[in-house]
Amino acid sequence: MTSKSRARLISAILAYAVVLISLIYFILPMLWIIYTSFRTQDSIFTGSIISPFDKYTLENYQTILSVTDFLTFFINSFIIGMAVTVASLFCSIIAAYSLSRFDIKGKNALIMGVFSTQMFPQVLLIIPMYLIIFSLSLLDTVLGVVLVQLILVLPFQVWMLKGYFDNISTDLDEAARIDGCGIFQRLFYVVLPVAIPGIMVAAFFSFVVSWGDFLIISIINQSQRTATVTLTIQRLSSALLIRWGQVAAATVLTIVPTIILFSFIQRRLVAGLTAGAVKGE
Amino acid sequence: MAVFTLYPMVDGLRMAFTNQNVLRHTYQYVGLANFVRLWSDDVFWISLRQSIILTVAVVVLQFILGLVLAWAMSQDLPGMSLFKSIIMASWVIPVAATVIMFKFMAQPDIGLINIFFRSIGLDQLNRYWFGDPDVAFPFIMLLHLWRNVPFYGIAFLAAMQAIPQSYYEAAEIDGANAWARFRYITLPGIRGMIIVMVTIHVLWTFNNFDFVFLATGGGPINATDVLPVYVYRQSWTSYTIGYAASMGIVMLAILLIYFIIYIRLYERQEISR
Repeated sequence: MTSKSRARLISAILAYAVVLISLIYFILPMLWIIYTSFRTQDSIFTGSIISPFDKYTLENYQTILSVTDFLTFFINSFIIGMAVTVASLFCSIIAAYSLSRFDIKGKNALIMGVFSTQMFPQVLLIIPMYLIIFSLSLLDTVLGVVLVQLILVLPFQVWMLKGYFDNISTDLDEAARIDGCGIFQRLFYVVLPVAIPGIMVAAFFSFVVSWGDFLIISIINQSQRTATVTLTIQRLSSALLIRWGQVAAATVLTIVPTIILFSFIQRRLVAGLTAGAVKGE
Repeated sequence: MAVFTLYPMVDGLRMAFTNQNVLRHTYQYVGLANFVRLWSDDVFWISLRQSIILTVAVVVLQFILGLVLAWAMSQDLPGMSLFKSIIMASWVIPVAATVIMFKFMAQPDIGLINIFFRSIGLDQLNRYWFGDPDVAFPFIMLLHLWRNVPFYGIAFLAAMQAIPQSYYEAAEIDGANAWARFRYITLPGIRGMIIVMVTIHVLWTFNNFDFVFLATGGGPINATDVLPVYVYRQSWTSYTIGYAASMGIVMLAILLIYFIIYIRLYERQEISR
């Protein structure tokens, strides 16, 4: 064996070792919770990995979906997530487009400002926001939750989309402008169609952040009425006697929508998320 | 939008100098009294120390492990593209769900971790891993790594693939070994991505609230307490939002100091190039 092909073999073995360890660490916990969701309470409590065939069941899902109000909370999460996604896209597309294409006075300061909000601790921001939502009598409403989540999602999304728009050549804009297109026509017919992949990542980002949010919902929510899936699984898993099978089923139902969306977007995810970064080079 | 974002920021700063309480309608300005109280608050110092340790340890480990993962994924091997497509799933699922997965695996007797240790004859390790003051804190770090290392890996990989292959070929002809190629071609090539990933993760990790709050609530006996969780408890368990805000200001000040040092170093490096 030549030294070169030996080096190649060694790096292949090392790479597969990394893959194997990664699969155990990153993927196994997810598979394990899915597996647990199909087991009965007593088979989980035997502390063994495999149980007799008749110990596997769909009962956990039946209980979660029919006995508890999980479906209502699921729909709540979905409505909040969709509302945040649509509203944040609307605001951030316009903001990012203006920051990317026009010379506005104090533009750099504005961009720094957008970024510095990432530095501001959310646990601190949420205190004045709670008081605002309280004075607007929006506590414990879907609208209240959407408003606060929107404000926390927007800065990063604007930064991300601005980077994406910057990477789109301005030649098309120019051509359209000479043909007599207005600002909004240029945005909607020229830039947006080209930016669809970036916008999809932005949409995915805001939906996933909203869906996974716990901090905001735990403060704005006051009753079962506006509870979401994250709040619910947290409640289930801190009960005195934990029904692990049911907790697992609820957790799986919470994960599934994000994984489905992820499977559509995964190729584009990192490019979109870091578009704002790559540009500055 | 600026108003909606700016107002809470400014209001948060103002609050730090009051004795405002969620349950009371009136409040006074108390000057620096909140900060004096912070100075002699043991839990504050514990949380501050642990926040800094957590952030430094997690970001450094994520960076190193992310590089290793990116290197493995850059090898052209069968099955690698499937691996790349699933590995970032950990980043998209809600933190609340992640915490439950790990809480379940950490259960005494029935959790996968303890089942594993029992099967290799290490019964004496059987415990609730989040309930043991000695191991709870490292366990919180494992959760952070679980969520973010694949993100680092994929991001570094994307940056590596943008480096022209001809650089590596030229280096190989000149007799550069693997380490030299990594040190002088790969690292400088992904420098921009490293800066962004490290910067945002320092902010996100230091400000992160969900992992500790959901997994342990700061316990056992403050072993996992970090500043965001202590701020949350002060505001929503004790309702002393003025005091909580003053602690938030300290967090902000620390990040600002980090930012200033970082920009200084960055500029100096730019000049020396």
